[in-house]
Amino acid sequence: MDSTQLTTLTGVIDKKMNRQLKQYLDICARCAICKDACHQYVGTGDFKYLPARRAELIRQIYKKYFTKTGEFVPALYEARDPDENLLDELYDSTYACTGCRRCMYYCPFSIDTAWILSVAKAILIAAGKGNEMLGQLADAAIFKGDNAEMFNDVMVSGFEDIQEEVRAITGNPNSQVPVNKEGADILYVALAGAHSIRPAAVIFEEAGENWTISMFEAANYGFFYGDVEKARLITKRYIDEAKRLGVKEIVVPECGHAYRVAEFFYEAWSKEPMPFKISHILEKVDQYIKSGRITVDKGLIEGKVTYHDPCQLGRNGGKFEEPRDIVKAVTDNFVDLTPNRAEQWCCGGGGGIVAMEEFKDVRLASGIKKVEQLKASGATVLACPCENCRLQIEELNEVHELGLQVWQVIDLVVAAMPLKGTKPTHV
Amino acid sequence: MSDETKIDLELDLKGLLCPLPMVKVSQNIGKVEVGGVIRAIATDPGAMADIPAWAKSTGNEVLQAEKVGGEFVFLVKRVK
Ligand code: SF4
Ligand code: SF4
Repeated sequence: MDSTQLTTLTGVIDKKMNRQLKQYLDICARCAICKDACHQYVGTGDFKYLPARRAELIRQIYKKYFTKTGEFVPALYEARDPDENLLDELYDSTYACTGCRRCMYYCPFSIDTAWILSVAKAILIAAGKGNEMLGQLADAAIFKGDNAEMFNDVMVSGFEDIQEEVRAITGNPNSQVPVNKEGADILYVALAGAHSIRPAAVIFEEAGENWTISMFEAANYGFFYGDVEKARLITKRYIDEAKRLGVKEIVVPECGHAYRVAEFFYEAWSKEPMPFKISHILEKVDQYIKSGRITVDKGLIEGKVTYHDPCQLGRNGGKFEEPRDIVKAVTDNFVDLTPNRAEQWCCGGGGGIVAMEEFKDVRLASGIKKVEQLKASGATVLACPCENCRLQIEELNEVHELGLQVWQVIDLVVAAMPLKGTKPTHV
Repeated sequence: MSDETKIDLELDLKGLLCPLPMVKVSQNIGKVEVGGVIRAIATDPGAMADIPAWAKSTGNEVLQAEKVGGEFVFLVKRVK
């Protein structure tokens, strides 16, 4: 590695350095408590997935270039250059991490390994070793934002088709999927897939909400890729749209990271106050049920129902009770997983890992704790908000023959609503 | 165009929810030679924006993106 590249990579750490990061890098006691908290280490037994070990790779560069002792006696302090070997090791342990922050929850010093690995991602990107797939997905989203006109017709035509499906479900020929509606109260930023628009539209329409659909999706692969600028641009697409339409509130879909990005990160990225209230769709649905704006019937869902807290929505987003209250409103047969809420096991599918084929084996192996939890619950129906979690759990369901029905929470709600139209299936 | 174009790889993406159709095209584009063509059939309408956006931003080419009944048929040419 030449000196220019070295300066670039150490410069990344320098730019990201603040008291919090310095503290995380300085205080690890190597107690290894985090090893039993990480589903990837537990599922694979592979040392490179031990949380403290992942962070150690950044610590080694830090020691060499940011501490006197490491600079003068590197061998004694395990200080290293960010050479090809280190970067290859770093790639595996960083992009495999689902960012679940369960290790942080159990660490006696609350060391945020996922944060340290966000620095690792920035180093890998600067070295030209960022994950290609996540980078491509992020660039495609930015391209859509820059060329919105190009996609207008296909998007509108897709929404018209979905509107027909919504009408078939509600039995109401006047149900709408409003597009570009100025003066709407809510901009609903769904995922690109129809499955995240259809049930939400049924619920908004039945609740009599003044809403409109976004031309953009809430998924943010720039965030998973680890490039703050790309992540900001992807989010900015719908922030600008919300400003243009004059809405009061942005509602994000079930997807956990989309909620975190909009609610917790965008202000810092854009250095502007967020001009809208940000709500998660399940907060809205919970309010609609509790206030009687929509009706759900408890008898319509069969079997024992359980709920998985997606890490980005639960442990990292603080939304534990609203989804549970919704599930309990549609069934008397609810059983929680053990452990749950902040201690919930990561399913293994977060952080963009489902899009990265190279991590398929570790992803499936790391789902073993989730499989054990699901089996122990005795449930036949799983309510699971996050898209990434659902993809992972559906695959675990198949591999381990769990016989579960895996539902989006809003699909479960629509299935429990006494509607005049045709009952939808759960996918 | 689909009648004349030689297809090098068929991808059945029916039932996959967005963004997975785009992910699958991206994962498979390397399996055809430069100049080769993938025919992908998806059922999620989101793919109609996703796959062309992915192609534009990666420098590949969508020769066709068409709705046929309830399906979306794409011909994607690997350019580089
Ligand atoms: S639990 Fe915390 S202090 Fe202990 S090894 Fe892990 S990161 Fe370090
Ligand atoms: S954030 Fe989750 S996946 Fe990443 S190291 Fe910690 S426990 Fe493991």
